[in-house]
Formats: sequence, structure tokens, C-alpha cells
Amino acid sequence: MDVRLPNIGEGAEGSVVSIVVKPGDTITAGQTIIEVETGKAIAGVPSPTAGVVGEIKVTQGQKVTPGTVILTLTGAAGAPVATTSAGAPTAKPAAATPVRRAAAPIVEDDEDDLPVDDGANDGPIPGASPYVRKVARDLGIKLSRIRGSESGGRVTIEDLGRYIAKLERKVIRAGRYAEEPKGLSFEPVNVDFAQYGPVSSEPLTPLRKIISARMVENKVSLPHVTQFDEVDMTRIESLRAAYKAAYEKAGAKLSPTPFIIKALVTTLQKHPRFNSSLNEVAEALILKQYFHIGIAVDTDAGLLVPVLRDANKKTLLEIARELSQIAEKARDRKLGAADMQGGTFTISNQGAIGGGHFTPIINKPEVAILGLGKTCAKPVVTAQGAIEARPLMPITVSYDHRIIDGGSAARFTVDLVKALQEFPEADVKL
Amino acid sequence: MELIPTDIVVVGAGPGGYAAAFYAADLGKKVILIEQDPRLGGVCMNRGCIPSKALLNAAHAIDTARESAHRGIFFGEPRIDIDKMRAWKESILQKLGSGIAGLARMRGVTVMHGKGHFEDSSTLRVETAEGQKYVRFDKAIVAVGSRPALPRAFDLGNPRVMTSTEALEIPEIPENLLIIGGGYIGMELGSVYASLGSKVTVIEALDSILAGGADPDLVRPVAAHAKKAFKEIRLKAKVLKMTSAGKQVKVVSEHEGKTVEELYDRVLVSVGRVPNGQDMGLENTKVERDEKGFIKIDERMASTDPNIYAIGDIAGGLMLAHKASKEARIAVDNLAGEGRSVNRDYVIPAVVFTDPEVAWVGLTEQEAKQKGIAVEVAKFPWGASGRALTLDRVDGLTKLILEPETHRILGVGIVGHGAAELIGEGAVAVEMGATAHDLASIVHPHPTLSETVMEAAESFFGYSTHIHTRKREGH
Repeated sequence: MDVRLPNIGEGAEGSVVSIVVKPGDTITAGQTIIEVETGKAIAGVPSPTAGVVGEIKVTQGQKVTPGTVILTLTGAAGAPVATTSAGAPTAKPAAATPVRRAAAPIVEDDEDDLPVDDGANDGPIPGASPYVRKVARDLGIKLSRIRGSESGGRVTIEDLGRYIAKLERKVIRAGRYAEEPKGLSFEPVNVDFAQYGPVSSEPLTPLRKIISARMVENKVSLPHVTQFDEVDMTRIESLRAAYKAAYEKAGAKLSPTPFIIKALVTTLQKHPRFNSSLNEVAEALILKQYFHIGIAVDTDAGLLVPVLRDANKKTLLEIARELSQIAEKARDRKLGAADMQGGTFTISNQGAIGGGHFTPIINKPEVAILGLGKTCAKPVVTAQGAIEARPLMPITVSYDHRIIDGGSAARFTVDLVKALQEFPEADVKL
Repeated sequence: MELIPTDIVVVGAGPGGYAAAFYAADLGKKVILIEQDPRLGGVCMNRGCIPSKALLNAAHAIDTARESAHRGIFFGEPRIDIDKMRAWKESILQKLGSGIAGLARMRGVTVMHGKGHFEDSSTLRVETAEGQKYVRFDKAIVAVGSRPALPRAFDLGNPRVMTSTEALEIPEIPENLLIIGGGYIGMELGSVYASLGSKVTVIEALDSILAGGADPDLVRPVAAHAKKAFKEIRLKAKVLKMTSAGKQVKVVSEHEGKTVEELYDRVLVSVGRVPNGQDMGLENTKVERDEKGFIKIDERMASTDPNIYAIGDIAGGLMLAHKASKEARIAVDNLAGEGRSVNRDYVIPAVVFTDPEVAWVGLTEQEAKQKGIAVEVAKFPWGASGRALTLDRVDGLTKLILEPETHRILGVGIVGHGAAELIGEGAVAVEMGATAHDLASIVHPHPTLSETVMEAAESFFGYSTHIHTRKREGH
């Protein structure tokens, strides 16, 4: 049978980053066969069934869309498994607290779900009812640019609406940039550096291009302010020392990060603005009642930000466990698009590597980010006037000054420091 | 000279013209509808679709009675009173005609009977029974239709040489009837006369009857049936000469290199239709016509004269009533409605009421081949349909033309009993962008012929219940 690219999250198009299997491999249902990079993420594509890989029909770097034949599978058997479609929510216990939905969806970055409206790229005209075709025609919109959500790529009136909303956001954004003072369009660097000495050249990977574009946009479009502070980690260190063995027995590594996540969620609950997004079209602040914490992970390929969901509902042990799983998945490049969506606040922790304060860039559409440096013993003047060596962790909070004022940021930082320095032992106990 | 002002004047009250007039009136326009015949409805209703279907239905009873013997029901020879048949047919037309007139009245559409003649781009002179009237219009819609072609060589001034118009009046049941042209009109009327008892011969210049439209595999059952019902179907043949010979017509034709001379009691010339509109003063406007006489239009149905639109047969393209009605909507939308409406991006189902019926919509397999469009075809032969067996009509086939990647339905072709009714589902499927998967998922009632549409889709995926097909990979 032909294995085709399923709908990978909201990403309609992508390029093949790597081919994980080779002809002759025996694979199981659900096993990753290739990795595809979309505007948003790198997603592993699972095999729908078990079988032996015949011919591989794609090459690295190839552009693929849903329906593209990836490979042929012989001896396919067994029931197909569900593909990793985006946002498949984890089942919640029925008797749990009522799940409250976010007030409104935030404005998604619009690179992901629809092809760019480049006139030269018109594809075949997809199926659509006469009414949808008429509306599109009256509005002067080419259906060939819209990715339909129904069988055979049929475009519904909702798909059309979504596309129009996307165009509108684009226009608004373009308008905003156009109003900015000059200096935002730079002469692209194109220098022959070899004239000054020997060089080597490597092309940017698709992921690097995405990181680059996102960073420029985030840095340029948001007024960043960064707050600096230090956390006395004495208490966290002693709690870690006391419970490390017990956590290890329970199969989890008790690093400082779970403590930081826990303390961060406590602080976010106190300061809901830091857990919000700005809907720029509706001009409304969307305060989120869920706490999905993005963890920036340094991988060989580059920066990835998987999301730890509902951190407020999880125990320290659960967080610790999930954290190692996430990090492993990120390094093995097994994260799906869904694993990286929906974050409300991001932590960038360089503590394990070293270094002091740094100014992280906000992960738009989030409104703030926490940067952590390496904890080092430093002299501290105690309340009694004595000087003591204490383990201090440099922390920085970059925030979107459109939404958050300086005073709020200072209060947030003070509360975060306090939440860590006075971490309740009850939360650590197993 | 008194000028009667109006927003819109529609010339011709066929299925294009009256639809345009009614729609424009529904949108609040003042409308005058011009018709030269005493009865509204145009060719379709008076000399085309409707009377031919009435006669086909009447004749069908004769065939059914004959075919009933092997089911254990025996009838004697039928007695045919053609005057009564004609009167019955006429009563239907009368009902429809007065119905249309009533609808016009209720909408406040003024009907003016007489021949219309354009004086200029905003004046129409109408020759009515009460004398000349002058209509001053903002916009005009020309919907004057077409008439059967009668090549000069065949026009003997002899009533025994008929076009469809005369043949539908059934002046008599000729013993030997020659039909020149094996297109849909010739084949439909041939069926009527064959059932009534005429020995029918068809002479067709091309290598197939019903050539050009339907796929050959859909025409095959019709040809097979006609071969039995008709005396002879002569393909790649040509009529060289016709002359009157007393109460008969002498016909010289050429077939397989041989020249034949025969006598027929009547001849039906069904070699196509030609546009009307020759002497209606279009030369006094900026309207341009092509070399065949069709009015040149743009995609909004506007002619080269900004005040004048054209729809239906006179505007060229397929000469079908439902195409004219659709164009009426488009023209009026542009004249009186909101937004733009264009004459593209829809499919027109085609139906031939032969025995069995053939109908298709959207892309045909033949057309895909000619245009180099890659398609996949799914078929369901009616031999596997329980309903077709109970009807004694297994000579049917339902096929779907599919886009290979998405399995979207690009076209549907059906031959078989009731294909004309079944094709409606095909039109919905094509227009809605349905896929084979959609059709296979939709529950169809049993036992009906409509199941063949579902089973054709199922067979494409290899899981049709009633036929066994090779399993498709990748599904």
C-alpha cells in the first residue's frame, strides 16, 4: 500500500527534514517514518499500519503536502492507528473540575495553515459547493489558494472565512509595519567574506530559517523590557537533597526545573496578565485559565519549545517525569506539531550550561518569558549584616511592555523569587 | 408614437425567456415579455422537450405490453388513435402554457404577443394583433431560441419531409420512416415512431449514433436496443438526394461505397438546429453575431451592445432548456441583482430520452482523454442491481469519473432505465465537490437504481457489496 502524508496538524505544507526508515525495514503501526517541517514545528509522521518498507518516494528537503505518497509498505496488516493530528486533547477525568475554555482563540501566526497567496503558485481548483464558489468569486478570492478541510480537499464556507480572516490579519500586520519608521527593511548582507580569509558555507536548514524569521518578528514587533533578579536557591537545594532519592525511586529526576515550573505557575496565578495574549485584531487581552509552560530545549538542530500542558494541575513528581520525557522527545526529534502548540509562558533555562543574566526574546503571542542562568555560590549580605556564601540563580523576565507595566513586572519578579525561596515542602512530599 | 417604458424587455418566452422575465420581476423590475406564439413556453414546451416526452411515455406502454408476455401477462395488439394521442399531448401543453401565463400575471409581468423588432438599442417595435407597439427599455434580454435545421437540398416543400416540429404533431404513422441524423432528436423520435409501428431507418454520417457527447460505453446499450427496435441503423452513411415521388419520397444515399435508392413514406430531418434572430432588427443595435448567427456574449451574458443581453440557444453553446434557464439567472443577476454573476464554473447535465436513457454530467471519460486530463473511472454494471432485474432492464451502466488524487467526482455518466432522473444526484455530487468516498458513505434506498451510484463508488474502493472488484491499494 501507499503511505500518504496525513494532515499534519494545522500545517498544510512542509518539507521533509529526515527519512527515519529505509527500504526493507519492518515497522510497526505508529512508528515514525519521516519528519516533516511545517511553519510551526517538526513533526514525526507515523506509519498508519505495520509492514515492511518497500520504496521510499520522497527525498530530504522535498516539499510535501497532505496526500503526497511517502513510501510503499508491503505486508501491511492490522488496524490503522490514528495519525498525530494537532491538538488531540488528553482525556480528562469525567468528575474533575469543569474545564473552562479560553475566552476566545488568540490570533494564530498565519504562516501555517494555508499556502501563501503567490499568484504563480495557483494549484488545482479544489472542490466546493456552488454557493462557496459564488462567494469566493464575488470576493475575488481564488479557491485554489485555500486548503479545504473536507473530503478530497473540499472547501467549506468556514474554510473560506478562515482564509479571509487570515488575509485580514496579514493586511493589518502589513499596515502596522508600513507605519513603522524606516530602518526595518535592511539591506540584506551579501558580502564575499572569502576576500578576508578562508571560509566555509553551510545552507540554512528550514528550521533555522523559521527560527530566524520568528526571532526578528518577535524582537522587532514587541517592545521588550527585561527585569533582572537573583534567587537564593538554598531552600530548593536542600529540598532537592532531601527528596532526590525518593523521586529517583519513583522514576523521576529531581532537577531545579520542576521547582521553577511549580513556583512560576503559582506566580502566574497571582499575576494573570503574564499568562495572557493580545488579540491584535479584536484589540482584546485574552487571559488564559490554563497554564501550558513552554520549555526551550537546545537540540542539535536548533531551538525547539515543547509545551508542558496544564502545569497547574500536576504534582511536582508528574512535572519532573514529563519534563524528562519532553526533553528526550525533543532531542530525538519526535515532537509533533501538537506538542509545541498552545504555550502560555516560556522558560529558557541555560543553567545547565552556564552563564549569568541574559535577555530572552518573548515567544509571541505570549507576553513574557523567563530566562534562567547558572546557579553559583556568591556572597550575600544577610539581614543581620553578615556575609554568607549562598547559591544564587540569575533570573530575567522579558515582558511585552504594551501589556505589562514596569511596576507589574517588578511585583511579578519579586513574587517569583519569593515562591522559589519559600517553596512549600508539602508540594515536594510524595 | 407612444412609447411604453419598461426596465427590462425579454424577447422570447421559452424556458430562458420566461425564467428571465419572472426572475427580474421577482427582483422588483418592471418587465415586458414578448412572444410571437399565442402560447408561452417556447420550443421546449410546444415543439420540443415536453411533447416528445409525452409521446415517448405514450409509446412506452406499447413496448411494455409487448414485453410483458414472458412475465406471464398477455395483451392483444394495441389499437392506436393518433388523434386522441395528439389531443392528450396537446392538453398537457395547454396546461403548461396557461400555467406560465398565470405565473406571469401573478408577478405583474406584461406579456405582449407579437414579433419583436429592434429599432435601436433602447426601442423595440412589437407587431401585435392590435397593431404596432413601441417598447422603450433600459435593458433587453434576447431569448429567441433556435429552430430545426432544414438544409436546402432536403427542403422539397413536401410535408412528407418533416423536421422535429412536424414529427411531434404525428400527422400519421408512416409505414417506412427515414430519419436523417442519429443524434438525440432523431433517436428519441425514432423510438416513438418505432413503438407506434413504423419501420424506422436511421442514416447517420458519423460512426456512431449519439456521437460527440456521451461516452461510447454509455451509447452501446442504446445502439443495441435500437438495432432491435428499428429496422436499420446505417452509420457512416450520407443522403445524396431526395425527391418527391407521389405519396412517397425517393431517397438516394451512400453507404459503404454503394449508392442506394429507396422509397420512404416520410422522412424526418434531424441534422441539428440553427439560431433564430435573423429578422428582428439586431442590425439596428450594436449586437454582433458570429458566422453561424449566434449572438456574441461575454461571461455576464451581455452582448456587444451594453443594453442587450442574450441567453439560451441564441447565445450559442449547448441547446438545452435548463442551460437557458441558468443563463437567465446569470443575465438578470447582472442586470438587476446584487453582485456579479458569470457564465462559467457550473456543469450542465445532458439527458437523452432514448430507450434506455443516457445521461451525463460534468467531465466524460472521452473528454478527459481528449483534453489529456488524468482521471480514474469507477463503474457499476446494472446486471448486479436487484432493482434493474425486477424491471427487466439490466442494460445499464453507472460510471463515475474521478480525480485520481482526491477521488473527487468530476463527472457521472449513466445509461439505463430512468437515467434521466438518476443524473440529478450526479449533478449534486459534481457541483458540491463530493468525492467517491462521500458517495460510498451515503446510504441509498434499497431496492432502487440510485444504489448503482453508491455501488460504483464502492466498487472503486473494492468493497462494493454486489460486485466483486480487485481491491485498490492504499485505501
